[in-house]
Amino acid sequence: MRSEELIGELTAGLRPVRRMASPARQAGLWLGLAALAVGLAVLANGLRHDLQERMLMPQEVGQWLASVLAGVLAAVAAAMLARPDRSWRWVLLPVPALIGWFGSLGWGCLADLARLGPMAGQIGTSWGCLRFILAMGVPLAAVLFWLLRHAGPVRPMPVLLLGGLASAALCSAGLSLFHHLDAAVMVLLWHGGAMLLLVLAGALLGRPLVMRRQA
Amino acid sequence: MSRTEGEWEAWMAAAQAGDAAAYDRLLRAALPLLRAVARRRIVNPAEAEDAVQDALLTIHTLRHSYEPARPIRPWMVAICERRAIDRLRRQGRRGGRETPIDDFGETLAAPGANKGEERVAAAELRAAVAELSEPQRTALRLAKLEDLPLTEASARSGMSVGALKVATHRAMKVLRRRLGVEE
Repeated sequence: MRSEELIGELTAGLRPVRRMASPARQAGLWLGLAALAVGLAVLANGLRHDLQERMLMPQEVGQWLASVLAGVLAAVAAAMLARPDRSWRWVLLPVPALIGWFGSLGWGCLADLARLGPMAGQIGTSWGCLRFILAMGVPLAAVLFWLLRHAGPVRPMPVLLLGGLASAALCSAGLSLFHHLDAAVMVLLWHGGAMLLLVLAGALLGRPLVMRRQA
Repeated sequence: MSRTEGEWEAWMAAAQAGDAAAYDRLLRAALPLLRAVARRRIVNPAEAEDAVQDALLTIHTLRHSYEPARPIRPWMVAICERRAIDRLRRQGRRGGRETPIDDFGETLAAPGANKGEERVAAAELRAAVAELSEPQRTALRLAKLEDLPLTEASARSGMSVGALKVATHRAMKVLRRRLGVEE
């Protein structure tokens, strides 16, 4: 078939479409939903007993804000990258917050080394972290992928990775409000590990969601 | 923003609202741009045209995601680039089994290698000339190759004008017969 004939066929049965909301609005919509879901989960679990104490420590506050910021910016970047004409540089948007967050955790590990003694003594299991981040993060990521499914035909992978990261970071931030983990290495291991798992799962399993037939 | 660009954006906005005529105008106007994008990446013209059609289908599928406040060309170009790259990847996976031959009128890179026929013809001519008698060869060289007037050819060769004429004529006859040219 010649391209001119294809154009004829595409235009012949043209139906009006509802214009999609702007990427910023889409990101805002999802962030609102995520804040509601994670907020309810935090309230259901009850805030951690030492929260007030920790919120007086600048490094703790900075760390928490960096995790929220990483989640918010990753969601914005995912929504932007889902549009074909937006620059790939949006990928870099959450990177500084992410570096700040994990850099602070790494620094915390060193501080704990001096405070609590050898690493081996600080490491334990915290399946609850993994469970919460996955149980909360998978549906949130799925909603974001569905919202950004127009990325499928053009730029699926960065959107899947950033969408997974956004969910994981916000769940981790929520988790920090009610779950007590003292040693930074535990946070790094269990939060970071769960986030990595969620991002990988999103990249591997999210494809069918963004590759669905467009509405 | 040039007038034409604003026009395309307006057409797409109208197409989103269901205006088929505006959509038709837009896609036809964009076709050369899409073809240029595809051909920049894909050498094979048929494959490039397939990529253009893939791009048209994707543009159609994603038309609701276009934001009319933004220029439409980068949007279309990005979609077309993506479809062209997809085509190339598929082509790459298929690559071991197919070789397009359209672009290989010349089969080998060495400059002399594609001149086989000319070289065979030249060899035949040399062999034919070798069969001529010495006076015939001389007459042919002076009268036909160097294109001298008969009087000068006669002075140089020491042959009479009559002898030169006869020798040239006979030489041509021998060559024609030898190379299979009808009298």
